[in-house]
Amino acid sequence: MMWKDKYKIGVEAIDQQHEELFRRVSNFNQTIRNEVNWEAKLDKVKETMLFMKDYVIVHFNDEEAYQEQIGYPQIEEHKDAHAKFKQGIDNYVKIFEEEGFTEEKIQEFGGKLMAWLIMHVGNMDQKIGEYVKSKGGQA
Amino acid sequence: MKVEYVNSFYKATKDVLQLLVDIEPQRGEIKVVQDLGSNKDANVELAVVGDLKGTILFSFPKNMTLEMIKIMSGMEMDKIDNFASSALGEVANIIGGNALTLLSQHNYTCDIAPPRIFLGEYKALPVGNGKALLLPLSTPIGEFDITIHLNEGN
Repeated sequence: MMWKDKYKIGVEAIDQQHEELFRRVSNFNQTIRNEVNWEAKLDKVKETMLFMKDYVIVHFNDEEAYQEQIGYPQIEEHKDAHAKFKQGIDNYVKIFEEEGFTEEKIQEFGGKLMAWLIMHVGNMDQKIGEYVKSKGGQA
Repeated sequence: MKVEYVNSFYKATKDVLQLLVDIEPQRGEIKVVQDLGSNKDANVELAVVGDLKGTILFSFPKNMTLEMIKIMSGMEMDKIDNFASSALGEVANIIGGNALTLLSQHNYTCDIAPPRIFLGEYKALPVGNGKALLLPLSTPIGEFDITIHLNEGN
């Protein structure tokens, strides 16, 4: 699995969503890389892709609402990072709409999505946890 | 070529690899090279534009590449397929982006083009003007190189 405990930020609601997101991306990557014939698994790939796209948006919205609630000072920078992340996904959604769900492009997307997610949660989101701790613990 | 170029890329590489793959690369001795080339298996090229212009080349051996992607994904990897090469390209892209942020603290404003990934030997490209610096890095899962060729733009 992709998830590691070091990615936790110490805010339970967000950590749970992160774990779910990692689980979904991990399952997605296992699906696109297993030996099953591409055509046979295409429906599952499409379904998972659409679910993940929606789940990323739900999670980012929840996380931004939480940042507002605690008065997180770097919220604008964080919103920009979320917008870029969503843009990255949208660019691939557009490619899939125009070129179809080709194995090559889906694999390419899966590799990038994994790196983006680990980097975002492992780096940028940790700063939310640090801020919460600096303010005296779990918010 | 100035020391802050090398230090920015080294620091960015160290930070990103520690985060993404739990390894801490150690610097080897920098070499001056006449061309951008590599006989390692997986090469990622980043073109830099802006106040600094040039190319950064990350060169990884196959086994190290597979091990890195395995650590990130939790999946067994036996070949550098589209998934692995895309993830590797993105790792280099993130390192490049972080290095440019560090360089901006020295008042260099630059941008990078999307990474280009070359599997197999990377054909040597002579560096137009000036020389390139090759920074070897060692890790518990293998040795890799970063070749830096940057010039201040006019």
